[in-house]
Amino acid sequence: MAKRSFISKLYNAGPLLLLYYLCISEVDSNLEKIFDIFTLNFQIIIIYFWVIKRPEIMANGHVFLAGLVNDVVMGFPLGISSLSYLIIIFFGTYVRNKSVNTTIASDWFTFFMAMIFSNLLFFSLLNNFSDLSFSYSKIGYNIFFTLFMFPIFWVIFNFYQMTFVGNRDA
Amino acid sequence: MSVSRDDFSIAFRSALLQRGGAQKFSVLSLIFLALIIFFLDVYGVKFTKPIRSFINDVVYRVTFLASAPTRFFPQASEDISSFFNVREENKKLRAEIEKYKSLELNVEFLTDENKNLQKILETEYFNKNLSNIVLAKVLVDKNSPFLKSIIINKGTRNGILKGMPVTKDNYLVGRVVETNYLSSRVLLLNDLNSRIPVTLDESAQAILSGSGKNNPILEYLPEDYEIIEDINVFASGKDGIFMPGTPIGKTNEVGEIELFVDPNQLSFVTVNLNTKKGNL
Repeated sequence: MAKRSFISKLYNAGPLLLLYYLCISEVDSNLEKIFDIFTLNFQIIIIYFWVIKRPEIMANGHVFLAGLVNDVVMGFPLGISSLSYLIIIFFGTYVRNKSVNTTIASDWFTFFMAMIFSNLLFFSLLNNFSDLSFSYSKIGYNIFFTLFMFPIFWVIFNFYQMTFVGNRDA
Repeated sequence: MSVSRDDFSIAFRSALLQRGGAQKFSVLSLIFLALIIFFLDVYGVKFTKPIRSFINDVVYRVTFLASAPTRFFPQASEDISSFFNVREENKKLRAEIEKYKSLELNVEFLTDENKNLQKILETEYFNKNLSNIVLAKVLVDKNSPFLKSIIINKGTRNGILKGMPVTKDNYLVGRVVETNYLSSRVLLLNDLNSRIPVTLDESAQAILSGSGKNNPILEYLPEDYEIIEDINVFASGKDGIFMPGTPIGKTNEVGEIELFVDPNQLSFVTVNLNTKKGNL
């Protein structure tokens, strides 16, 4: 019984561990070396999906901390990734509060809105309060590919949820 | 209408302030906290600098450990394949040794000639003071679409300061942009924020600008200057930071600079401590 409870806890912690691992390790979701323009913000896909589906798995404090770690590793001003992730959480929670049931299409659309606001805040803060310059085309590619890949990860995460975590949709 | 507005405000407020269950903190409180941290960091309040430096050192070490498996598997597969190719490689290496032996005499002659010319020009021979060169290991090489940088395992404890040039095999790879006690961040030449003055083969001056891609580009070239393939690019040293004549790369057919050192394949680098500190 205790063993089963431990395994269940481990499955529940899976998405959060993945988020932390992506933020702290050298592993990145940018396949620029293979395909020049392919960059992906995998972290926000993880956060949005699990906030919509199982918010208790994606605790706000942990997401905040993961954002801080990401800033340190990437060399951004501290707090900027946390802010962008919290905007994603805010949108996700709002959509969850407003909707009775969600589909892949509705999640995709609302994810687009969340990502736009999150990136808008991220890059306006970076542009106005740091010396870092960035390429707008890269931001565009990043947004496009993150949006493009969302349904694929939605299906994968949904499968993980159904198989290992359990569905608790309204 | 009023009902829908109520719905909106309830859902909005709930999304911002909701707590309970696994959520120990509300989104609003964390947003405020993130903003405070952000502005403290950006405006560089005195007490935040050592804290940030300490956090950086700890996180970089953890990142290095966490990335160990990702580094181990490609290395292991490389080792296995090289084990099976050892005989063929031995043959190839023997042929290379013969080739290098014949080149050695040439190099010796050129080195002597170069030293004599340096003496004539009264310039500092750049290997004169090897004690001022620090060898550093690359701790983290995370590929980001927006920032091309690496973290090295040497910091202010070893005398590294912001702005110091970083080389590999005497080829320039970047400069230090952030220092902590035990680690530093190096901005690579291909980063969008990197700008350094360079000299071309025909003594033309230009600025080497990172493009965010693998190959940087040349800006502010003399008017009517035509870039052709295979022109060598060196640091001009006009900024007083980079050693004049440090090789960087050569031009390719589209006018970009192909760096002599692949910025994605760095494992050890050297930091030159001989920089004028006042310029940093």
